[in-house]
Amino acid sequence: MAESSVLTLNSNVPVFEYTDVSSKEFHIGSFRDLWLNALNPDVYSYSDTTPDIQDVQLIEEMGIEPETLEELKNMCSVESLRSEHEDTDTVPADSQLSTLKLRKRRQEYKESLTRDHIDRHEAYANELEMICVGKKPEDLGDLVPEGELILTFNVLYPVLFQRFKHVRAYQTLNVLGSQKLTELKDAICCVSDLQVFGEFSNSPDMVPQFISKDHYKSAFFFFNGTFYNDMRFPECRDISATTIEWARTRDFPEFEIAKMEDTCFHDLKMKVGFPYYYTHQGDCEHVVILTDIRLVHQDDCLDKKLYPLITHKHRVVTRKCSVCHTYISRWVTSNDALAPTDPCLFCEQCFRLFHYDDKLEKVGDFVAYAYVDPGTFN
Amino acid sequence: MDHFKGPLKNDCEELLGRFQATESVRFERFSAIWKDMNFSSIFFDKPDPKERRHFARLALSVVSPYFHPPYTFQIRVGCLYLLYGLFHTQLCTPKEKIRIALKDWKDVMQFQQDAENAQHHDVVYIFKKLMSDKAFHFTAMPKMLFCRMKREDGKGKKVCEEFVDPPTRTQELITTDVLEELVNVHEHYENLKKAVFTDSDPNVNLVEQNLVSKLNNAILTYSNWQENHTKAEQLDAGEGPSNQDSSRRAQLLASIKSRSYGQVMEASKARRHRQSQLVLSSDGDHTSNTSSKKKRPPSLKNRTQLRFKIQGTEREKLTNATRLWNLSKVKEDKVTEKKKQFTWRSKP
Repeated sequence: MAESSVLTLNSNVPVFEYTDVSSKEFHIGSFRDLWLNALNPDVYSYSDTTPDIQDVQLIEEMGIEPETLEELKNMCSVESLRSEHEDTDTVPADSQLSTLKLRKRRQEYKESLTRDHIDRHEAYANELEMICVGKKPEDLGDLVPEGELILTFNVLYPVLFQRFKHVRAYQTLNVLGSQKLTELKDAICCVSDLQVFGEFSNSPDMVPQFISKDHYKSAFFFFNGTFYNDMRFPECRDISATTIEWARTRDFPEFEIAKMEDTCFHDLKMKVGFPYYYTHQGDCEHVVILTDIRLVHQDDCLDKKLYPLITHKHRVVTRKCSVCHTYISRWVTSNDALAPTDPCLFCEQCFRLFHYDDKLEKVGDFVAYAYVDPGTFN
Repeated sequence: MDHFKGPLKNDCEELLGRFQATESVRFERFSAIWKDMNFSSIFFDKPDPKERRHFARLALSVVSPYFHPPYTFQIRVGCLYLLYGLFHTQLCTPKEKIRIALKDWKDVMQFQQDAENAQHHDVVYIFKKLMSDKAFHFTAMPKMLFCRMKREDGKGKKVCEEFVDPPTRTQELITTDVLEELVNVHEHYENLKKAVFTDSDPNVNLVEQNLVSKLNNAILTYSNWQENHTKAEQLDAGEGPSNQDSSRRAQLLASIKSRSYGQVMEASKARRHRQSQLVLSSDGDHTSNTSSKKKRPPSLKNRTQLRFKIQGTEREKLTNATRLWNLSKVKEDKVTEKKKQFTWRSKP
């Protein structure tokens, strides 16, 4: 009973700050300790107790006779709840349940539509989930320890289009509580990391191979008034310094800084469901929401090496070349007298054929940049 | 998929309502109702793993709130059985789990303790079986939170009143412990008074002599009244003789009022320019029935057609004129089926 009174008073028990929107702040490591103290280790272990041992435990705990236990097992078996006809693939025609009535209507509507084929991408998306579920590592040293926390983050793509504000594209990542913030940072896929700078209309063959990810390595997370900077490499700079300076001149509370590579998720104090902040490349900003924290379960992926795990990725439509509509565009031109629109996208072949003559000289006046399609991560 | 939340809630409340009517907590009663409603068919659908998983998750999250206070013990038992049934009859592998938040764990343990004390073996057995089947996810918050700032209509928040115990705030305030303490304090006070004043001076009697017993009686009468009141409300389905009189009187009053408000006082000659008018208040309903579908702005094609409607007919004549050579083509039966949009809410 003392334990339960501790639970009510402890500020590390997450409660709603705004109902169904976000929770109050709590320390993640302490939250984990509270759960582990409250539970019997058997409850969250990966192994299952054998049925015989289970029976013995039940008889002891409940204080009943073995015959009573047998009776209970018969009465409360799952078989008594299953329906007679096992055709699970069709919606039963006559049903009192309003859910099934709605589902039947929806199914009939879908069948009345002329086209009904499964998207290729959706088929692959299912496979992505299936690969990781329940996966055990070959090397037992990589096994996720029992009682570990799994945090689920939604990283929203930076808003690119005005029109598509109703659907916020995001990717979902699962991280372990003992991992460092830098591991989450490395796992976030953003198209701006792959950009190549420079204008190459005069020398299209000399597109350099480096990408922005290698050049501009600075990044920071902003959680609850503290900026966590990535300082692993010598060229990383503290890009949060400008924001802190600016805030100091105005009436904002003092912000703190810390290092991303020294902090693991257990040390953080976070709110669940509250929008946080991630910036990289100097100005590419993402909203990060912590949607869920829970204890690891035996059905989760148990291989430490696979974390952070991407469980959901929003598909972005790939932009094809304006000329052939077949190949993915690699070049974008501006101020181009020959192109129909400004800017205009071209694939490799169409770009060369269109803008350069036999002697590989530039035709017309234009500027060309290398284009990385946002759909590369599909 | 969220449109299924409403029908799911209806189905679960119906099941729990029927279970509540049996006035028992035995699993056999529950499974009889379950089989009667053929509840396991709620998962039957085309084999699409993503949809199945999403639906199972939704079903478990809709049912989970009934497992915690303020619902009555019987409803919580029914919810436990329902979770057990849903967990085992779901069709996806690996199974979707039931979420329990840290803040609700204390209530769950209390519930288990109550069931054990009352020797409800089937309740305890089913709970322990779910724990050993690793059916729970131990989480921070009961639902996954995506920072949904847009509030959905408040229907999701309603707590079903029949499933909740009637409010017992007075009983909670004045418990036996409190009464005992009051008795002790009162005795102490009386003794002190006697010690100070040798003869009982009537001016010193500021406190009620039988304070505690009067308080107790008041609480008892209130709780009795509450019970009778609720019973009377339930029996009030048919009109009793006393009710008829009062409703007739109410109708009379209502008719008088409507006549008086219907008549508008004619303004005096000096104020004829400010005639008062009767404004009917029936237009208030329009605002509440705004459809959630936003009307799409007309497309460029439609807008140009609307603007150039006059010229449109001329164009049609021209295009028709050039189609004379098409006469030899076989006329196809044009089945113009307009694609209807699927309405989630069925029309009554």
